[in-house]
Amino acid sequence: MATAPNPEAGQARSWRQNRKLDQWIAFWSVPFFFTLFGLVFVPLSWMMPPRSPSSTTPLIVDFMRSHNLLVACVILTLAFGLAPVSYSCYLIQIRRMSVSPAFRYSMMIGAITGAIVGMLFPMFCFGLGAFRPGYSPAVLTMLYDFGYLAFIGSLGCFCVMWMAFGLAILLDQNNILPKWLGYYTVWQYVTELMAAPVWIAKSGPFAWNGLLTFWFAMTLYVSWQFIVYLCIYRAIKNQPEAELDNARPELQPAALDNGSRMGA
Amino acid sequence: MTDVTEDFTTGVGNSRPDADTRGHVPGDSSMWFFVVGDLIIFGVYFVVYMYFRGQNHELFLHSQARLSLDVGAVNTVMLLSSSLFVALGTVAARAGNSAEALRRFWTALAFGAAFPLLKMFEWIPEISAGLTPGTNLFFMFYYVMTGMHLCHVALGLVIMCFVIRNLKTSQPPKISFVETGATYWHMVDVLWLVLFALLYLMR
Amino acid sequence: MTSLIGNPLTIVWALVTTVTLASWLVARDGGASHQINTTVTLVVLLIAAVKAQLVIWHFMEVRRAPLWLKATTSAWVVGLFALLLGFYFAGL
Repeated sequence: MATAPNPEAGQARSWRQNRKLDQWIAFWSVPFFFTLFGLVFVPLSWMMPPRSPSSTTPLIVDFMRSHNLLVACVILTLAFGLAPVSYSCYLIQIRRMSVSPAFRYSMMIGAITGAIVGMLFPMFCFGLGAFRPGYSPAVLTMLYDFGYLAFIGSLGCFCVMWMAFGLAILLDQNNILPKWLGYYTVWQYVTELMAAPVWIAKSGPFAWNGLLTFWFAMTLYVSWQFIVYLCIYRAIKNQPEAELDNARPELQPAALDNGSRMGA
Repeated sequence: MTDVTEDFTTGVGNSRPDADTRGHVPGDSSMWFFVVGDLIIFGVYFVVYMYFRGQNHELFLHSQARLSLDVGAVNTVMLLSSSLFVALGTVAARAGNSAEALRRFWTALAFGAAFPLLKMFEWIPEISAGLTPGTNLFFMFYYVMTGMHLCHVALGLVIMCFVIRNLKTSQPPKISFVETGATYWHMVDVLWLVLFALLYLMR
Repeated sequence: MTSLIGNPLTIVWALVTTVTLASWLVARDGGASHQINTTVTLVVLLIAAVKAQLVIWHFMEVRRAPLWLKATTSAWVVGLFALLLGFYFAGL
């Protein structure tokens, strides 16, 4: 499969003419998004690492009414829209794989439900505490539990997403992403399952701030997240330009050059 | 990587047991990546369990006494026997004897399927007696670790079914796939050997 | 066709199953079940280590594997059980 001689090949080509610009924008939105997320959750609001599920009511009330939480929620509300953009990176790669489309649809639905429950719900809970000052301590405690449990305990949605992704990688005959990444993804979704005990334990290694369910699970998750993006970076880079959905007609494989792919 | 393994193993009758010094990695090396990683992940759980046990001797000892040691022991033998037949089946498949390999894998599947069945005989009475993951820290460890292990067993049985299908329908069978499935199953066995000692046997 | 009886794999199985039953008996009869018993624990964990190593070495065919795989799996067995025993005795 040879690409037509391309007079624009090489560094001289303007970045605006890069056919993979859409993918690169989606890709680079990720570090921006994650950094923002990190800032919001850690130094700004101290939502992460998670506070203890067995905190006393005055501590919870203070936290829910704090000024920092308010700012954090504002930023979250504005930045939430970037989540789907970051997911598109995965979907573009899974689309290239030889597996059934069912995988990419499972991924999409899993990502949507996961983002709603895992990100939107906590945003509402903590946002309510921050933006509506009149709630009683009992209500604030309930919102606190709701927010943290939604954030850490929302297993099923993301589990389905990563299961679909991991299985797709393992079954893919086009070898878009390396097989070991498929296995690594299996661990990633197992961490979602490992978090299940947070619904029960209010202290110790299985609570939502526990050694196993939070710290160990985070170690696996964060390392996976870095590595998967490195692999996606390579996959985007290595994708032949002729295979892109928005490839220029003269670069299309000859067999398909009957107009059916133009303007698709 | 798979190519090298396949070149090495698809030769019929190519099994020279101990004279082999070249170093043969059974199955896909990416499965070995998974196996070693899984061993480490469970390893972390095992060590954390031991640490917390040291903080709560009374609790762990008393809770442990409520487990069914006998069912645990029988389950260990079930998995070991299943592993034996998987190993024997792999050897037969490599030697080109698909019929014998099939027989052995079916036997392995039978032994393997006994494990979740016996587990139900263990868990159901325990849960009926009120011993749930929320009861105390020991039982949380018990259910989480044996639960994660049971998921691995279930997956292993599914993989074994695919191996059996491959042996039935492909001539010659894909040895690399058989070995990969076998490797996964033996890992499940090894994990249980440690779990059995930590949860049921040690004092 | 390899026969079952004299087969090295069957011998390994018999060995591992025997020590499993032995450790089961040690745990069942080796002392009151509500008390710490360092002897029972030591015996049981060491047997478990040996069993794991045998299954890895023979069933998983690491015996015939390249050095890096032998080293990695052996390191896991040794490292894990060292940590387990370490934490056990440290927590007493």
